[in-house]
Amino acid sequence: MNADQVRAHIDPIRHEYAEARSLILPALKFAQTEKGHLTREDLEAVGEATGFSAAYVESVASFYDRLYLAPTGARVVSVCVTLSCMLRGADEVWDHLCEREGVSHHGGTSEDGRITIQEAQCLGYCDRAPCIQADAEETKGPFTPGSAAAFVDALRAAPDPHEFWR
Amino acid sequence: MPILNSVYRHREAGHVLTELVAYRAAGGFAAIEQSIGEMEPDDLLYVFHRSGLRGRGGAGFPMGRKASFLPKDAKLAKYVVCNADESEPGTFKDREIIEMNPFQLIEGMVLAGYAIGADRGYIYIRGEYEHQARVLDAALIAAREAGFLGDNILRSDFSYDITLYRGAGAYICGEETGLLESLEGKRGQPRLKPPFPAVAGLYSSPTLINNVETLSALPPIVTQGADWYAALGPEKSPGTKIFSVSGHVQRPGNYEVVLGETTLRELIYEHAGGLREGHQVKAVWVGGSSVPVLGAMHLDTPLDYESLNAAGTFLGSGGCIVMDDSGCIVRATLRLASFYRHESCGKCTPCREGTNWMERILQRMVDGEGRMEDLELLESLFGRISGKVLCALADGAVAPVASAIKMFREDFVAAVTDGGTPRPAPMSVVEVR
Repeated sequence: MNADQVRAHIDPIRHEYAEARSLILPALKFAQTEKGHLTREDLEAVGEATGFSAAYVESVASFYDRLYLAPTGARVVSVCVTLSCMLRGADEVWDHLCEREGVSHHGGTSEDGRITIQEAQCLGYCDRAPCIQADAEETKGPFTPGSAAAFVDALRAAPDPHEFWR
Repeated sequence: MPILNSVYRHREAGHVLTELVAYRAAGGFAAIEQSIGEMEPDDLLYVFHRSGLRGRGGAGFPMGRKASFLPKDAKLAKYVVCNADESEPGTFKDREIIEMNPFQLIEGMVLAGYAIGADRGYIYIRGEYEHQARVLDAALIAAREAGFLGDNILRSDFSYDITLYRGAGAYICGEETGLLESLEGKRGQPRLKPPFPAVAGLYSSPTLINNVETLSALPPIVTQGADWYAALGPEKSPGTKIFSVSGHVQRPGNYEVVLGETTLRELIYEHAGGLREGHQVKAVWVGGSSVPVLGAMHLDTPLDYESLNAAGTFLGSGGCIVMDDSGCIVRATLRLASFYRHESCGKCTPCREGTNWMERILQRMVDGEGRMEDLELLESLFGRISGKVLCALADGAVAPVASAIKMFREDFVAAVTDGGTPRPAPMSVVEVR
């Protein structure tokens, strides 16, 4: 993404903030929608559009779990593993998905590049535990290992979203 | 079904209020009409104060008092910030309010803004709540079109708008100064306090920060009166509280109760449908995971700030996680320790290193590599973490570990002597009705 594209996104909201620095996070989230992660060029574009160095922008981006500084799979699947979900079978869902996608028990990206599986900290859907979130779509649940696998299969088969909101 | 004594209009109405007309029909925006341009801001502030409303995000600080700390100087820019970074494990009440009743939050923020003379309000919502953020986006547009936000609200002299700001995945941004840093476009690492946000908050300006549930309680307090709210529940901390109940219960969900009138047992067994046949309560984290754990002997504790303090814990966020006797307290404690290790922002060494050590020691106990001296080693860490850091995350990390070792010591000893703890079968999804 280039600086003009970033500017087109943040210029309409610039007046809402007393300091331009506040635009960095909205700009990063928007820049990420293009490829699903942030490249060097994206960080430079955000820096140019907001008036900060690419190094500073990266220091901000690196703090947040949902900003990706390395390529991911086409879809990022966040499996909640916090206590409420654990008590309802999150570990069994997690183990099954990791095994099926052929990634380590720490998560990772499937060989076909379609799916990244990652552990998530409490997603706030404990009433539907165990729950899973695809990118930043509405979190779903409850899942069994089998229904979670079907959920991932459906994501794999579906066309990629136009914008990667994560 | 409408709920008696509900403060939140969608619960009272028994259906979602995401359309502005539906919210109006349920009595919405009457508080704005009654107060903006009609009441002195200070009088409105006094209504908040007299209601006795305490912050529902976790710390429980009296809302009206917090708002009164802001300087009165009209020349200073002032802000209202709504903390919608709901990330405390086991807590999903703010999600419900936003999803089902976004206008009540907006109305509450307008009232708070008028009372303190704010220039703008911000809602900081966690990045994972993108779906809820879109509900709020639509509600903000509708409120603006109807004249409840923007220039000269209801033709008064008061102009005020709300900006929705999306986080990007960091528990620590629920800590108020971490939130402000994030909102200012920085890494979300907490600040040294004082100065408190009421004096120097967003952009170093006086800022009132409150949780979704707190701000959403303001409209009915205005329409029904501070006396009505103050009369609900105990004198020192009145009102209703939404408890999010999860874990080993038959009906996980949000339940709003009048403080002091419901016991923990009633919350679990009557509201949340109780446990599976043949199981007993083993452990309950009643106020989110950052509080000392309770056991079966605490079930008759009334749910209010003072009673829960007397039982050795905190009401916190009201995220009530229940574990029955099929669960393993050592594994549950490890899971929470892992959460805090992951979410420690790294700014303060005692927290960054301490959360890491707590997780490692508990992990080796679970894996069968624990040593008897590990219990003392763990206990020796607590005092080196708590009170030696900038924010409450570290205390929150220590509380569930320290309390579990104290209350269930024999389970931790057994993990060492038995060579670890097997993973228990979870409550399976087919058992969910």
